[in-house]
Amino acid sequence: MNEVKRKGPLPAWMIWANPIVRRYCRSRLRPASFGVMLLLTILVAGFFFFVAREVSSRPGLAVSDAARMPLIPLLVIQGIILFGLGTGQTAAGITTEADEGVIDYQRLAPMTPLAKVVGFLFGLPIREWLLFLATLPFTIYSVWKGGVPVSGILQLYAVFVMAAILYHLTGLLAGSVMKNRRWAFLTSTGMVLLLYTIIPQAAKFGLVYLKYVTIYPVFNEVYPYLLPQPFTEGALIYETIIPPARFFGLNLPQYIFTLISQGVLSFAMITMLWRRWRKVDCHLLGKVGATGLFAWLQVMLLGNALPLIASGDLFPSRELNRRFGRIINPQKASWIPEPWEATVMVGLYGVLTLACLWWLTFVISSDNQGQVRGWRRARKFGKTKLPVLSDAATSVPWTLAMAVMGAVGWFIFANALTESYWYPELSLLAVTPVAMFLLLACGGLGLSALLESVGRKVTGLVAIFVGVLPLMLGVIFAVSGDDLLAPAVWLGGICPVSWPVYGAGVFLSEEGMPRDVARALPNAFWFWQGSVVLTMIWLLTKLREARKGISERSKEL
Amino acid sequence: MSEAAIEIKDLRVDYGDFVAVQDISLRIPYGEVFGLVGPNGAGKTSTFKVLTTLMEPTYGEVSVAGFDIFESAEEARRIMAYMPDLAPVPADLKLWEFLDFYADTHRLGGRRARRERVDECLRIVNLFEKREAWCKELSRGQTQRLVLAKTLLHRPKVLVLDEPASGLDPLSRREMRIALQALAQEGATVLVSSHILSELAEMCSSLCVMNQGRLLASGTAEEVRRELGRAERHLSAVTFGDPEALASWLRETAGVTDLKVEGSKVGFQFAGGDVDQEGLLVGLVNAGLKVRSFEEESSSFEDILVRVAEGNREV
Repeated sequence: MNEVKRKGPLPAWMIWANPIVRRYCRSRLRPASFGVMLLLTILVAGFFFFVAREVSSRPGLAVSDAARMPLIPLLVIQGIILFGLGTGQTAAGITTEADEGVIDYQRLAPMTPLAKVVGFLFGLPIREWLLFLATLPFTIYSVWKGGVPVSGILQLYAVFVMAAILYHLTGLLAGSVMKNRRWAFLTSTGMVLLLYTIIPQAAKFGLVYLKYVTIYPVFNEVYPYLLPQPFTEGALIYETIIPPARFFGLNLPQYIFTLISQGVLSFAMITMLWRRWRKVDCHLLGKVGATGLFAWLQVMLLGNALPLIASGDLFPSRELNRRFGRIINPQKASWIPEPWEATVMVGLYGVLTLACLWWLTFVISSDNQGQVRGWRRARKFGKTKLPVLSDAATSVPWTLAMAVMGAVGWFIFANALTESYWYPELSLLAVTPVAMFLLLACGGLGLSALLESVGRKVTGLVAIFVGVLPLMLGVIFAVSGDDLLAPAVWLGGICPVSWPVYGAGVFLSEEGMPRDVARALPNAFWFWQGSVVLTMIWLLTKLREARKGISERSKEL
Repeated sequence: MSEAAIEIKDLRVDYGDFVAVQDISLRIPYGEVFGLVGPNGAGKTSTFKVLTTLMEPTYGEVSVAGFDIFESAEEARRIMAYMPDLAPVPADLKLWEFLDFYADTHRLGGRRARRERVDECLRIVNLFEKREAWCKELSRGQTQRLVLAKTLLHRPKVLVLDEPASGLDPLSRREMRIALQALAQEGATVLVSSHILSELAEMCSSLCVMNQGRLLASGTAEEVRRELGRAERHLSAVTFGDPEALASWLRETAGVTDLKVEGSKVGFQFAGGDVDQEGLLVGLVNAGLKVRSFEEESSSFEDILVRVAEGNREV
């Protein structure tokens, strides 16, 4: 047979030679459609560029100051193109591949899994990258004419590109699990929108780390230089009071810390995609990887929050006080955080920790089918137990480990707040660490037991009936009238998402709550926690039986 | 495992409690056109998916050209090609772009070398004139031919084709058969599946029959027929002369049963192998029965599959 001359395997870093990138260069850069998009982008960017320049030059600003004006509008346009459209296109593109069925050809292509991930990562949004590049001359001109410090702008755009890669990876991951291309586009674009609207608000309530998945920290540092010079000075004064990235007191430059934060998340996502391209039916993360990622998230949450407690910069009211304090209360010389702020922050920290625990437990839990396959494979090789790290092995010990880590992190955070200078009268209950652990363990193990014993569909139904309906009913009760506040608290307490919030109220302070709520909250919390612990023991017994049944059944077939 | 084009040992594929492939073992030498036949749900596609690294089996060992497909998947993919059943094509590429992309993934040289190879493959499947057309504009049969061209691009040592003839017109089927046999003569191994046993019998040097995840029989078409307990063939002879004379001659011949006369055609069951069948034809000619045609009815082979499928329903 005639042999065809072949080159060696393609290194993943050779993006320009990647066949997948080249394939999308062809299909997404066809002159007719790309030309129109390019023209539109240049027109819009040009419009904002000239309007901003011309308008700002009228009040008598210097040429260099007027030149700076288009920089922020251009950044917004670039964000819409690369973050919004790019992420949506990446998610929809990979869903389309799966929908058409051609993704199997890509699986069979003799490229390394990493080269395939890189190919799709840069290939699918290739049009958006080029459109972004098309707007850069306007930015470069403005930077040059406006005398903007190059180091600042480089820091901003380094983080901008890193964030785009992170969002595109998220889109790729979302697109890999979704079936409908429109939904994949909308969901991933919506996620980016949330990241720049809702999530930063959570960052103001103690979850400082979340702002490092956006470009805000570096933007806040650099933006005074993107304004005309008369405004720069004022913005710089405000800038000096914005807390820097004091990760465990390391005082790293914002852009370095943002790059590290986003880089690690990108690495985790590349690992997930790499695993999927290597083996189509394996878990997105291994058990050790998932536990490691959970530990990393805890370290990041704590590392960013703890150093800001002493200075008071962690508290949402601090920033409000700085901005509007003199207007709201000119008499009040000093600022003191409210007790409810600590409660809300501890509650939110618990919710986020529980959410991370659920997500990672979901990733590492095997359904019945996976367990049967795992058992048969193990038996074929003469093993009497499933390998602990295999996908089919139970996720229970790993979920438990994550619950321990989560409880430790959560307790450290709550304790740091109550022990701080700001709350001399606040103290945690003695049972707090145990209750925090039980709360997280019950949430995590409950999900793990359900997934492994009855599968995803039933787990989904349980989530609706236990997680969503009681909360909805509770809200309806709560808004119906003050008389129904106590039943609303009891109903809402069934929902696992409310456990950390209730817990925070019980562990710290019920101050600021309506009297009925304050009275019902501890009772509802302890009652439901007791019930949940009993349910958990029952679920774990059921899981043990189910796994034993699966193991036995795998012998027969 | 020793060298063979394809070697499968104790392969098992489960979907939950459903066993799609149950501990099958196969050894296919180089240069063979090997057919895998079976009714729907026999486990053919699952076997192919494992073989082509698209699916991880419950357990089992599979090697392609000496490469363990689980340990050296990339090497195995380099020398293997797969054409799925109802092969899809991307809507946003032209024919030549589609092929060029896969030529590129196989790193078949520079742009010019790739283009030459793409054109060559398009000519093989008679689609060269449509090279600038969009993939989405092709008919079902043309799509099958395009994907066949894709599988030929890198001159694979092992071709795995799942129902490749579905949607093809008779001429295209014949061309495909010739192309595959030519590839086998050059040393490539072709593993092909079909529901139509007679089609495979014509094309394949050996075949196997699968049902409910198990391997029922394997070997040459004759060996498979014998192994499945179907020694009789359904033959027919057409005569220019008197069909009754032909029928009465056959009635007295050993191994002939179930005679039916329809006009000038006489159909019958014959218990015997290829050599016996050849002897029967010689006997008819020597008896001066003016035989115009003498052939095996395709349904004779299909009966085997029908019986296998009916067995499933009884179960």
